[in-house]
Amino acid sequence: MGYLNNSIITVDAILTKKGRELLARGDGSFKITQFALSDDEIDYTLYNPVHPSGSALYGEALENMPLLEAFPDETQIMKYKLTTLPRGTSKLPVLDIGFASITLKQGASLAITPQTLNYQGATSTFEAGGYTAVIADSRVLNSYTGVGINTEEAEKLNSTTTLGTNVSKTVIGTSVNLTATTVNTLFGDRTRLQTTITVVGRDSGARITVPVTITKTN
Amino acid sequence: MSYKRFDAEDIVISAESVTAPVWTGDIVTLDTFYTSSTQIGGVSGDYYYNIYQTGSDLANARVQYAIGYADKKGSGSLLFNDAIPGKSPSSVLYGQYRNLVLGDEEANFTFGTQTSEYFYVISVDRARYREKLLPGSLDLVLNVSGSQASIRLTDNSNLVTTTTFSDSGRVFELISGSTGTVSSGAKNSDGFTNGSGSYGKFLPDIGVILINGAALDGNIEDGGLEFGVNRTSNPAEASNTRRFYDILNREPKFRLQSEETISSNFIFVRARNAEFNYSTNPSLITGSGELRHNVMINSPQSFITTVGLYNDNNDLLAVAKLSRPLLKDFTKEALVRIKLDY
Repeated sequence: MGYLNNSIITVDAILTKKGRELLARGDGSFKITQFALSDDEIDYTLYNPVHPSGSALYGEALENMPLLEAFPDETQIMKYKLTTLPRGTSKLPVLDIGFASITLKQGASLAITPQTLNYQGATSTFEAGGYTAVIADSRVLNSYTGVGINTEEAEKLNSTTTLGTNVSKTVIGTSVNLTATTVNTLFGDRTRLQTTITVVGRDSGARITVPVTITKTN
Repeated sequence: MSYKRFDAEDIVISAESVTAPVWTGDIVTLDTFYTSSTQIGGVSGDYYYNIYQTGSDLANARVQYAIGYADKKGSGSLLFNDAIPGKSPSSVLYGQYRNLVLGDEEANFTFGTQTSEYFYVISVDRARYREKLLPGSLDLVLNVSGSQASIRLTDNSNLVTTTTFSDSGRVFELISGSTGTVSSGAKNSDGFTNGSGSYGKFLPDIGVILINGAALDGNIEDGGLEFGVNRTSNPAEASNTRRFYDILNREPKFRLQSEETISSNFIFVRARNAEFNYSTNPSLITGSGELRHNVMINSPQSFITTVGLYNDNNDLLAVAKLSRPLLKDFTKEALVRIKLDY
């Protein structure tokens, strides 16, 4: 992965894997209708509000940093979206799924109902557009569905099945139901399987990733 | 709100023509020709020779173009069956190009004003020319050793006021000259021969050049090369393709460019002053969601590094990375122009 020449501002644009897939499908789903902005790679702890030269240079360390080229994997880019909020906002939307980590025994089920804190003036709210939840390794779950959002896209994602491979699976809903695998062979000599689940508010862009552990019972 | 819909005028589709060298390594003029004894010795060698830019056994060898001989009567190449006259690789090629170019099994090839029943074919490898050949870019040298005759050929695209179309797209005549210009020594002002018509046809849309056999056989004083194409029926040796390779390779020079239309989407991403000034970046906030830096409460700043382009289902279709972060706050508006080619 190379760095982009930052002596002048240029734009390096590529299709994502998903974009190529939809373009090849040729069913009209490759139609750009909206955009989002993100500040991936920016570490705001480098922002210096006590810069001795003044406020114009608070972001000095960030404005001149080199940036990496775009990744084609749509799950690895656009992680931290910029949002539009009223001026004077002191708290930004964050997600709360009720768990700092998730541990399930084999065959056990769990329902996750995310909430968005500090969004649109409410202390806590459920986003109307629902939430996108990505399990990084779909093999560790017997079932994984989103409920509460009945759009065509959400239903299509819920009905997609991928067997036997270590790939992610994405669902959409206001709640997400997951059931741990009962397959012993996945464990090998280990007593637990580990992966992550990433939940993103579809309206706010707020995001949270928590570890998921499946423990062997047999 | 993280997503913003484009207005109708934000997405512009543009098609632009890009010209480029044809040959491997972005070379405009190919001046080394190689054949492959393996290919020539195989079944395909009866029909055509592949020409490489370097030794065919080398790792970087790529087919640049193929040459073959076509004859309506099947002359000049070995019959498939001695008992069936007229059916040979040369008649197969003739029929193939008649079908492709003329689209009529009763029609004959007319080069300029003269009909001819035999010609040579140069078919440029598709990977080389991508979409089509660039008219006016051709400069091909044919050199016959015995008569010391040499001629440079180009197409007459710069001379004609109306373009002629065939079943295979645009058709231009081959003339004496180079890179679209008639040679000062041409026998006629139109660059044609005396009595044999043009030197062939240039078919840019299918990457093919036909060389009029009768023009090659014509007298030198009439603009020909006195080449002597072998039109014997079922000859002892099918030598026409090899001999054509010889006159190409005696003074190897083959200049050609390609032309490709690239469709681009120009997408204008506009962030108004009041938009996109906050971020979900975890380093911007504390664990409870409060801004890490108090100064940002009334003067928030964000740093745009990436633009994501989505469909209605929020699928991320394309991404654009800026080469350096772009500062955004309530006093600034951002306009990013993204060019997507496909």
